[in-house]
Amino acid sequence: MPKTETETPKMKPRPIVRLGIFLISHSLLVCVVCCTAGVLALLLLPLLAKNTYISENALMPGSASSMISNRDISEANRLASDLSGLNFEPQDAAALESRGILTKYMSDLGAEVSYHKFHHKPNQFHPLHFFSSPDSTSSVDNFSCSAQGVNTVGIIRAPRGDGKEAIVLVTPYKFGKSGTAETLSLSIAYTVFSLLSRVTWLAKDIIWLVADSQYGEYAPVEAWLRDYHTPVFTGLGALNADTCIKIDDLYALEQKPIAQTKISDGFRRAGTMAAALIFKVADRNELLEDTLNIYAEASNGQMPNLDLINIVNYLAVHRQGLRVKVEKVLSLLDSRWLEILGEIFEVLGKVARSLNPGWKFGISAADYVEGSATLASSLYNQALGIPTGPHGAFRDFQVDAITLEISPKVSSHNKARHNEFLLRGGRLVEGVVRSINNLLEKFHQSFFLYMLTSPSKFVSVGVYMIAFALLVAPLPLVAASLYADANQLDLGVKNTKSTTTAPDELDITFRSWKWLYAAKEVFLVHVWGAAVSLLPYFICQIPNCSPTSSSVIRVSLSMLGLLILYLIAGSPSTHVSISQHGEKGEWAILKSVTISAVFIGLLLMSVVNFATAEIGALLLVPMCLMAQPLKLDMKAGKFRSLFRVICNMVLGFVAFPPAAYFVAKTLFEGSDSINMGDFWNWMESLWAWNSATYIYIGMVHLPCWALCLHILLHSC
Amino acid sequence: MGFKAYSLFSFKMSIFLLLFIDIATAYSSHSSSADTTKHTNNWAVLVCTSRFWFNYRHMANTLSLYRTVKRLGIPDERIILMLADDMACNARNKYPAQVFNNENHRLNLYGDNVEVDYRGYEVTVENFLRVLTGRHETAVPRSKRLLSDEGSHILLYMTGHGGDEFLKFQDSEELQSHDLADAVKQMKEKRRFKELLIMVDTCQAATLFNQLHSPGVLAIGSSMKGENSYSHHLDSDVGVSVVDRFTFYTLAFFERLNMYANASLSSLFTSYDPKTMMSTAYYRTDLYQRRLDEVPVTNFFGSVMETIHTDSSYRAAPRKMSNRAGISMAVEISAQHDDRRTLIDLDVQDPTSHIKTKDQNCPFTRTMNTFFEKVERIEHPDSLVNYGLILMLPLLMVSVWLSS
Repeated sequence: MPKTETETPKMKPRPIVRLGIFLISHSLLVCVVCCTAGVLALLLLPLLAKNTYISENALMPGSASSMISNRDISEANRLASDLSGLNFEPQDAAALESRGILTKYMSDLGAEVSYHKFHHKPNQFHPLHFFSSPDSTSSVDNFSCSAQGVNTVGIIRAPRGDGKEAIVLVTPYKFGKSGTAETLSLSIAYTVFSLLSRVTWLAKDIIWLVADSQYGEYAPVEAWLRDYHTPVFTGLGALNADTCIKIDDLYALEQKPIAQTKISDGFRRAGTMAAALIFKVADRNELLEDTLNIYAEASNGQMPNLDLINIVNYLAVHRQGLRVKVEKVLSLLDSRWLEILGEIFEVLGKVARSLNPGWKFGISAADYVEGSATLASSLYNQALGIPTGPHGAFRDFQVDAITLEISPKVSSHNKARHNEFLLRGGRLVEGVVRSINNLLEKFHQSFFLYMLTSPSKFVSVGVYMIAFALLVAPLPLVAASLYADANQLDLGVKNTKSTTTAPDELDITFRSWKWLYAAKEVFLVHVWGAAVSLLPYFICQIPNCSPTSSSVIRVSLSMLGLLILYLIAGSPSTHVSISQHGEKGEWAILKSVTISAVFIGLLLMSVVNFATAEIGALLLVPMCLMAQPLKLDMKAGKFRSLFRVICNMVLGFVAFPPAAYFVAKTLFEGSDSINMGDFWNWMESLWAWNSATYIYIGMVHLPCWALCLHILLHSC
Repeated sequence: MGFKAYSLFSFKMSIFLLLFIDIATAYSSHSSSADTTKHTNNWAVLVCTSRFWFNYRHMANTLSLYRTVKRLGIPDERIILMLADDMACNARNKYPAQVFNNENHRLNLYGDNVEVDYRGYEVTVENFLRVLTGRHETAVPRSKRLLSDEGSHILLYMTGHGGDEFLKFQDSEELQSHDLADAVKQMKEKRRFKELLIMVDTCQAATLFNQLHSPGVLAIGSSMKGENSYSHHLDSDVGVSVVDRFTFYTLAFFERLNMYANASLSSLFTSYDPKTMMSTAYYRTDLYQRRLDEVPVTNFFGSVMETIHTDSSYRAAPRKMSNRAGISMAVEISAQHDDRRTLIDLDVQDPTSHIKTKDQNCPFTRTMNTFFEKVERIEHPDSLVNYGLILMLPLLMVSVWLSS
């Protein structure tokens, strides 16, 4: 057989194999091109944003005229004045009294009113609950009766509906100590609720949840949702009555005056939730006009269906004349480099349009800056994985929800102006409710994976994946190329003469298994990363610990762990010292395995939370690709290697998570508020909110950074 | 053997004859059904094919047309009304149990006398084709069947969401233009209509008629290929669009008419203005024999037909003979005879018949007369002589051969 092989001309490999080999052998060029293109594609995203459109036919926003009358508004005003009259009383009594008033108003409209008691518990670290659904079996034993909140829930049954679906309206309200803004949001909700109790066109039940926001806005909504989706067969009221008798007595007292109305202590339910709207009135006033802020990001970068944002935006802009805003990174708005970039893109767009009038991708520089600032905020909020409001709780149950924050124009003390504001807010909510009421199925037509560049523009997943794909594409190529170089594999591009000098078989087998040592090292470092990410759980057990000291403890413990690991595992180079003739030696194998690990980690993360993976790739990919032992470069002493040394140092510094955090903070918020504890708080909030980003930092980013550092400091 | 062969031959002959007679009668009666069968009754099949609240207007379209044809005289038992969804009882309807086609809400289309034959999930492509072709299961009541005959004028109105050569049914299936053409062809062969008017209000409605080949079919669609059909206006009280443009203008045309009106189909077809409709109404007339300006709209949309005066109620023109053609010979032959007699009668009325009556003499003189006439008519005597000479040559050769 070998004889025939030498005689016949060598079989040509298939084109795809040849292409792969070609790319691997030119991996440096491919790296530079792909990474540059990846960053450029990210910067181009505001240009590629498309206008939003309402994709679901059934929604028909704004097709029906508003039906809110002055009677609804005057009723709401009466409720508001009744509630604000209680503010002079002591807080507990006022809370009770105001709840009673609200209940009376609701039940007068014919709604079913019920109370939902919940126990606020501080966030706890559940290392294993990151991807599971919110725990339904939360039987917390150690709560105190003082940390109890009471949500008030009113349900209007659709007169001719089938009762299988519901729309949820949520207004956070601090019973007893509410400000004017909160009362205003309650009035808006009451206006809508009073209208909806009269209309004949409801197909879905309406649930109005007045969330007791004394422990924050998220906790009551989350508790209510959990109980809503957890059938309790013994009855929730009975369970609570055992533990907190005092408060239940108070309820009994309170219920007497309105005994004729139907208030149930049991948990009331309607159908599955089609959508939820959380709305509140902001305390701050806008200078120019009434403004609507939309918050949509839920946990782990999940977004509600784009159609929900679309109908709110459409109704707010085209029907109520509100100015709609989404969050943006304010410091980017007046950054010079972004403006220059925008101007360049504007000129390019003009040139393109002069070449072919069909190409319309140019946008003005101001739009570009605005779009990038919004996109950056969208990317950051999604990457953080922390919900931006109570709507996040709904998203965990696969319910589409957004928070609407309406800021009134100044001088809302004027009576007519006040009523007009109520009317606008009420009409907006009514329009959205009517539109969702028309819906026949769950929201499914429009996008779930998108980033907003303005309230009416979005970048869809198909576009923003390109930037990420370009960034990570070089990783497997470089890993393969490094591996091939280190093992002196012939990829067919070199001269065939080299194959004739075949080394002995033992050497080949030994060298082909060499990567296992590197893999072991990488694995151990990842184990260390996992251990470090579990550290906060133990640190937070330490009583009376300030964030700064916790942070210091954590960093020192991590370092200690790394040191111990290094000692235990020993310097792996002793094992592999036999392979003398390796061109780049053992660090190349290590780098190759590290890069593969990064590649796998980033791909996995891009599935869980794209934005995290994108930001992580921006930090990790250049570092991984550049990493080369400093010693080698120092020895070479050329300008190029010196430049590489500087680059490596800078990248190695920036990719260290705390350093990255502080650099980003100084860039966007200024350098005056740097505190070591901030990072600790930030990490703490990440794990408290069960963000997958925390896992990513602990198990992918940090180990890879450590490995890269190891490569940099490698003794060749 | 000889006898057997003879009998076989005679048997074959008789079969052949029988077949021949069959074909002849079939042909004759077919031609007579297309031409001479009178228009005796009117049917309407009105179909709304789309579900869901946001398609309110399709149900309103269909109900409006239902009301119109009823007003113009088609009785309820001759209207097959198919509604794919019940908007009137939809929970989103602000006016329960009422359907309007105009925002002024003056006319409730869903009043007392609405008989829906197929509703909800019964409206499927299968049921639709069954209605057209008449292939029902035995349990289907007469009220749900299209019991038309060869004297029927049928109005087929369809509305819903469509596209290039299809019409969507129920959000899950579609009727293709081939299916429609096939059903119409079957109807034609089963003699279920004399004339058929297909009126379709969907996007790209014209494409639905592409495959039609059966004679007697007239088709009109709301839009050409590549065009959308738009809704006419939005009722902001109900919160949906309540009528489509094409149907709206059709109804506007009929609102001016009553049962005795004389408006022609062409006046209806030319009343569609592409500017106000935002699409081009397309009508296909190449399969239709009559001139559109001679056909009153009430031929399809009403129940007005010509009166046939007969002396005796039992001597109406025979119909549906071909069905029994193979069974009874005698009747067939007599029918054949009848046809022949009418043909002879037609010949009698021919203006050239006076020649025949003149030539009633002895046959010899008749041939001589014709010969003389021909001789008189000869224009080139020279050529006649030449031909004679050439004719002499073979005679000469024959005589020489005989003599030798």
